[in-house]
Amino acid sequence: MNPFALSFLILGLGLIGWLTARARAVRFDRGGAKRLHSLPAQHGWFVGMWTILPPLLFLVVWSGISPGLVRQTVLQSPAAAGLSDFAFERDSVLAQAREVAKNPYETEADPLARQLAPVVRAASRRYAWTGTAAAVLLAFAGAAFALSRIRADFRARSKVERTLMMGLLVASLIAIFTTIGIFVSLFWESLRFFQQVPITQFLFGTHWSPQVIDAKDPGASLGAVPLFWGTFFIGAVIAMLVAIPFGLMSAVYLTQYASATTRRWMKPTLEMLAGVPTVVYGYFAALTVAPAVRKLAVLLGDPFASSESALAAGLVMGVMIIPFVSSMADDSLAAVPTSMRDGSLAMGATTSETISRVLVPAALPGVVAGVLLAVSRAIGETMIVVMAASGAATITLNPLQSATTVTKQIVDLLTGEAEFDSPKTLAAFALGLTLFVITLLLNIVALRVVKKYREAYE
Amino acid sequence: MSKPAAQAERRPTDWNSPAMQKRIRRRYAAERRFRVLGAGAVILSAAFLGFLLLTMVAQGWRGFTVTELALPIDLKADGLKIERSQLATPAADLALASAGLEDVVDNAATRAFGADGATYLAPSAWLAVRGAVKRDPSLLERRTTVYVPAATGFDRALAGDGDPAMEAGVARLTRQGAIHRGFNWTFLSESDSTDPVAVGVWGALKGSLLTMAITFLIAFPVGVLSAIYLEEYAPKNRWTDLIEVSINNLAAVPSIIFGLLGLAMFLGTWQIGGHSFGPMLPRSAPLVGGVTLALMIMPVIVIASRNAIKGVPPSIRDAALGIGASPIQVVFHHVLPLAMPGILTGTIIGMARALGETAPLLLIGMRAFIVTAPGGFTDPSTVLPVQIFLWSDEVSRGFVEKTSAAILVLLAVLLAMNGLAIYLRNKFETRW
Amino acid sequence: MTPASPAPHKMSARGVSVFYGQKQAVKDVSIDVDMDKVTAFIGPSGCGKSTFLRTFNRMNDTIASARVTGEITLDGADIYAADMDVVQLRARVGMVFQKPNPFPKSIFENVAYGPRIHGLASSKSDLEGIVERSLKRAGLWEEVKDRLSDSGTALSGGQQQRLCIARAIAVDPEVILMDEPASALDPIATAKIEELIHELRGRYAIVIVTHNMQQAARVSQRTAFFHLGQLVEYGETDNLFTAPREERTKDYITGRYG
Repeated sequence: MNPFALSFLILGLGLIGWLTARARAVRFDRGGAKRLHSLPAQHGWFVGMWTILPPLLFLVVWSGISPGLVRQTVLQSPAAAGLSDFAFERDSVLAQAREVAKNPYETEADPLARQLAPVVRAASRRYAWTGTAAAVLLAFAGAAFALSRIRADFRARSKVERTLMMGLLVASLIAIFTTIGIFVSLFWESLRFFQQVPITQFLFGTHWSPQVIDAKDPGASLGAVPLFWGTFFIGAVIAMLVAIPFGLMSAVYLTQYASATTRRWMKPTLEMLAGVPTVVYGYFAALTVAPAVRKLAVLLGDPFASSESALAAGLVMGVMIIPFVSSMADDSLAAVPTSMRDGSLAMGATTSETISRVLVPAALPGVVAGVLLAVSRAIGETMIVVMAASGAATITLNPLQSATTVTKQIVDLLTGEAEFDSPKTLAAFALGLTLFVITLLLNIVALRVVKKYREAYE
Repeated sequence: MSKPAAQAERRPTDWNSPAMQKRIRRRYAAERRFRVLGAGAVILSAAFLGFLLLTMVAQGWRGFTVTELALPIDLKADGLKIERSQLATPAADLALASAGLEDVVDNAATRAFGADGATYLAPSAWLAVRGAVKRDPSLLERRTTVYVPAATGFDRALAGDGDPAMEAGVARLTRQGAIHRGFNWTFLSESDSTDPVAVGVWGALKGSLLTMAITFLIAFPVGVLSAIYLEEYAPKNRWTDLIEVSINNLAAVPSIIFGLLGLAMFLGTWQIGGHSFGPMLPRSAPLVGGVTLALMIMPVIVIASRNAIKGVPPSIRDAALGIGASPIQVVFHHVLPLAMPGILTGTIIGMARALGETAPLLLIGMRAFIVTAPGGFTDPSTVLPVQIFLWSDEVSRGFVEKTSAAILVLLAVLLAMNGLAIYLRNKFETRW
Repeated sequence: MTPASPAPHKMSARGVSVFYGQKQAVKDVSIDVDMDKVTAFIGPSGCGKSTFLRTFNRMNDTIASARVTGEITLDGADIYAADMDVVQLRARVGMVFQKPNPFPKSIFENVAYGPRIHGLASSKSDLEGIVERSLKRAGLWEEVKDRLSDSGTALSGGQQQRLCIARAIAVDPEVILMDEPASALDPIATAKIEELIHELRGRYAIVIVTHNMQQAARVSQRTAFFHLGQLVEYGETDNLFTAPREERTKDYITGRYG
């Protein structure tokens, strides 16, 4: 039975349980008491919950483990003897076998996959039925248990509400689990990396060329300093040189000068810049901006200029960041009390003098926090640099030359066909950990600055 | 004007002195410059957006069109040996392929368009014939004309960007009147291919939809429930603080980190007590992509929902509590319905962000070459942004317009989502 | 800008009305303000007295929906005329607000702000002289002379308001507008401000808005009573409080409403 039909079946059982319980509760012998503690519908919810939740929880777990079980059964079957030892090839054949199992007339399939298909089909069917049967059984068991509990004096509402409260608590704990999950997975894989490559070599080495790794001394070609520099150069220097003036001036113009109509139209327009997917920026950077920058470099007298310059990626990234800076600056300027502005204007200051000498200095902490957040955003940005920046790790101050970033290297390292435990793959996690820690620090500092600043005006 | 005493201290400012007038003029000039700079920043930013969109439209519109050639063909005379009854079985595709339909089509092209004729046809041209035959089996017995897609090179030549041989072919076929340009339905109904003429976005779009469904099913309930907990019930203690800090930081973690999380958590194998477990979820599938993106946008939904819940005035809670509603009833009967528009707006914005996301999905393998649309949540699949990325890497010139066209499709979907969010916000916006 | 013959009054308003969108906040008000005099505007809150005060240095320009009709002159020149320079106007007609609003800068920078933007000081020592003189006139010098580099926002409320007065004095204005300058202060600080107004009277034309009748009686020589956007009565303070001509004025000063 497919998962949807099964879910509906269980929900249907739950509904039946709900109706039964409510009907029974309506007829309860009240024994002199004027009112029940719980409404009939709440008894219904109690039974419905017991009918639905256990099988659904079981199904979630089961759908997690059953593909593994099917796979194990197939691999142990005699027909799997001819499978390749290479994980990649084996997975590909298994995937094709699954395809054939679904559609026997699939035209393009490996002969071995055709052989395996019946085994796959049989195994999946068996585990699917086991799961279905167990789920339905659980539903009935839950319903029976719950129906046996309800009585006139049963406090169904408290039980239902306590379960709901548990649900709320679990939902909010997921944020912590995710944070822990990120930290553990990055930290664990990085630990394995640092067992093979000394951490100092990784953090302070200036040579990065993961294509050729000496098995005896993998750290020699895994020094990440060029990546850190490239990330800083593109994300925190070039992009910010675009984003800060444009973002700040846009916010100033829209809050202090523009008419209400202009503001109503231009603000969402600028915010659209933040809504454009990064892959679109990346494509635009690679296709339009990078060749233009290269032409400029040639004009400036560098005939061998890279078409994957740091400038192209940084420029486009800067444009992408404009709305972040602008909206943070907007908020900070709005938080400056109007009495400041009035005080300055009443002394005969022009609007621009008021902005540059009173409003911006007063809003500075908020603006600085916004810039920190923007930097954290820029150095974590991936697609623009993957598509427009170079893979060559060089340390350069020339924006017309190529530079690479941490995020680009993570993608490059993990999308090749390397096996899971090589230093090359694990290096991606070490880079990820570095990126995570740096962005986390930037955010903490920025949020703290913003909080202090808000308090100052409240 | 002033008393002598004041004059002794300091002469009153003579605002009409030439020096002062000059200074005033200079200050006004600075004021104008500043204002122009501000307007310039806004206009340039908007112009960049306009330029980007225009570039995409200019390059992408051609991706929605297809060049078709009217191919006269007589399947029986060209020696296609197949029984009409075979076409009704599910094995029809296999049967037509093994009967040599592809060669028959090539021969027909050579006869109709000259010696180079077969090269004018897209590699997928015979599939168009196959489809026509399956729709109307009587074509097996009679002479007919089928519109088949032209080769990429032919299409380029038609756009004035091809090699001389092809351009000669274009000229000849134009004279024959065999060229037909129309809307490329294939682009909306098919999936990836190695041939730019035959590609479509449907496979990637469906992958995106399946992924988004998983993302929504996880992120929406979890996000809303945890917002309710934090805003309405959470005691003020260290644990609650920890949850808040986690959410605020998760909202700012780079998306690629979530890709690493998905890769290590859901696709990695775990050694526990000598047994190896995992991978928990199938690689390259909407399921793992959806779960990863759900974790990524959940903080966005939590933050938006909390703001919406905060916006419901306390008087409403007091009123409900006052008539004896339980705290759970207060929230689910009164607060939540009132906060729903704000929650939905935040959710749509989060979903739009997930829909445009590429980097984490690259890491968890959703970059498969998918020629048929995924059938379910566990099939290998790709998503629209990743498809765009994959096509942008292709060398063939024909992919440029397809990439831009796919971008237009993605932007259209995103625009629709954001439009919906703005509509919801305006329609249900309540002033308390 | 200065008329050929000296105008009879420092500032004169003739038939001034102020509109916020459709709503008329000030209705056809005419009034004269003279040097060496303190003029008080009194009336119940919402009567338009603050709005009217803000027309004297065109601070209503900062509110997009506000519109002013009628004529206001400074030394006989119409301040709403096209050739009137609003920057110069505000330098000549200073303003002190209801809530002290020192800039988040040092005490010195707060006072030096005006002379700096208007280019009034020829040198650093000149600027220091202006700052010292202004703070002295505002009666704040003794309290802050040792901590001029401290932030202006770190002062007490009363000190902040005197700092704002010093800041207004520093550009050497001819008229000072005060919009309920003591309403946010405690009685002791209020007394200091009133004393200060008394001392400043000799150098500037001062207009003060207040909802406190005792304050108006204490500091002003002339009083104007506003009600519902209209100028009900304007005259010598002593006369107005002891022998009001209008029934409404009498009701107000005897506390019937307000």
